[in-house]
Amino acid sequence: MSAFLTFEDVSFSFAQGKVLDRASFSLAQGSCTALIGPNGGGKTTLLRIAAGLLTPTSGRVLLGNQPLLSLRRLEIAHEVALVPQQLEVPFSFTVEQIVEQGRTPYLSLFGGLKAQDRRAIERAMELTDVTSLRHRVYNELSGGERQRVKIALGLAQEPRLLLLDEPTQNLDFGRQMDLINLIRSLHSEGIYIFAAMHDLTLIPGTFSSVVLISPFERLRQGSPEEILKSDLLERAFRCPPPRSSTLQHGVSTPSEFAL
Amino acid sequence: MEAEIVQFVAGEESGSSSARLPLGPVVAVLAAVLVIAIVLAITCGAVRIPLESIEACFLHSRPLAPDQQTILLDVRLPRIVAAAMVGASLSLAGLLFQGLFRNPLADPYVIGSSGGAVLGASVGMVLLPQVSWMGFSAIALLAFAGSVATIAIVYSLARVGGTTQVVTLLLAGFAVSTMLSYSSYFVEILDRDYGMGLRVLASWLHGSIGVPRWTQVGVVGLLLLIALPASAVLARRLNTLALGDEYAQQLGVKVESVRIAIIIVGSLFAAVAVSLGGLIGFVGLIVPHLARLVMGPDHLRLLPVTALTGAAFLVLTDTLARTVMAPSELPVGILMALIGGPFFLYLLRRTKRGYGA
Repeated sequence: MSAFLTFEDVSFSFAQGKVLDRASFSLAQGSCTALIGPNGGGKTTLLRIAAGLLTPTSGRVLLGNQPLLSLRRLEIAHEVALVPQQLEVPFSFTVEQIVEQGRTPYLSLFGGLKAQDRRAIERAMELTDVTSLRHRVYNELSGGERQRVKIALGLAQEPRLLLLDEPTQNLDFGRQMDLINLIRSLHSEGIYIFAAMHDLTLIPGTFSSVVLISPFERLRQGSPEEILKSDLLERAFRCPPPRSSTLQHGVSTPSEFAL
Repeated sequence: MEAEIVQFVAGEESGSSSARLPLGPVVAVLAAVLVIAIVLAITCGAVRIPLESIEACFLHSRPLAPDQQTILLDVRLPRIVAAAMVGASLSLAGLLFQGLFRNPLADPYVIGSSGGAVLGASVGMVLLPQVSWMGFSAIALLAFAGSVATIAIVYSLARVGGTTQVVTLLLAGFAVSTMLSYSSYFVEILDRDYGMGLRVLASWLHGSIGVPRWTQVGVVGLLLLIALPASAVLARRLNTLALGDEYAQQLGVKVESVRIAIIIVGSLFAAVAVSLGGLIGFVGLIVPHLARLVMGPDHLRLLPVTALTGAAFLVLTDTLARTVMAPSELPVGILMALIGGPFFLYLLRRTKRGYGA
């Protein structure tokens, strides 16, 4: 299968120092990939580069065969949507009003939402099961509900690739499982997934591929079986991983961990 | 209508869901309120013009008494139209700036337009008290120029490496605004005609619509005709900007250009208001806030509601200002502070949610 998104020797530095050092990997079409690594290791930066929001200091990113930075912002928005960790919204915007904003890349300067925009919004809300929340105020929702609304906002863009930054962060294990099920169902709908994940136990059985980035190790990409090994994780995180996180003793499923 | 609002407020506080009133009927009601306010304003005043004689004049082409006609056409009507335009402009400027700063406490003056206007006006009073252009006094024109120039300076101060931090913008605006306000006292001291200039400046600082010439009303009306469609385009962008700069950027919004456009259109509104009415506080703060409580935060829906409410609100307040102590006049800005201040504090207490209405 050909690559949908390719990182070629991508480096990135902030004023404080280097965050990414010659990262190379690719996301195949149809893939469901987890991005793991220690805190401050550059996961968010990498996702923002993948969404075209940050320009790499060196190296390049390809969307299909084209350099990402040669594309116009709107062209990227039709292909890739990034669901950020935090979405702070002022005022009492409702869920529906927020999801509607996902159609912005498709609207003309003066035009409003058309029938096909409405369809995309309804579908995004259905897939994420927030249709019943549509008239609720976003700021009054629970963490799990907000997470689903954020994903609906990303889906309203109708991207082929959905980038998720720590989607299970701050969720209880029940809501984590809901979210993992949502990721699976989105993947079965044909949406490619690339998600930064903290909880390694949620990866097997859902993600077909894992990218590991760490300041202490070179970037690795492989199947969950290849990456989630305790010696590799120990070097990457500078700490021995909890037993349930590794695959040394066969595939551990998230539900085992949850109990 | 009132029952609906009460019900709405109750629903809002229970936090269950957000009831939003439909746009069409609300706009129709507000338009009717504006018309009633204007009729009321026409008939009330130091000289009473009965409704019947105006009706007779318009419907049966029976002329008014000459003195009534002069008062109606040259004094009262231009003032009412000016009050409506000032109210709408201040409110729209407030709406744009609150959306831009993602903060319900922003108002037309926060990024420095008031300080610049005050300095411009005091320079005008001292140096060119007699000069005027198309009915605008040099004082009003310099206030306008001062406000626009200040915002340009503040904006360039807050701009670092191609982006603008909203917090920096607010702080720079506050600092520059305060500096300019106080330096205007220095200009006053240079005034040989100290007492006189001070009185004119005081009346202007307290906010007073006065009696504009029709040319003034025309020019300002024309400016508003340019600014209104522009703000309709910007209103949609403001909804997207509510998701934050980076998200808006992801959705293809050119955040920096939109921000500059909002500042230009917003300052245009603020400057229009300043040139006709001096400094009138609270309108730009309260009216968008109130509209948001009733209509929800969608800026596209808020636009007509805010403009109509602001217009009707200021027409009524100005009528009150010139009749309550007739024949002498209360500056409308003072009345606005007396009414608006407590009302705003009430709103502030009522909406204790962190994200503001």
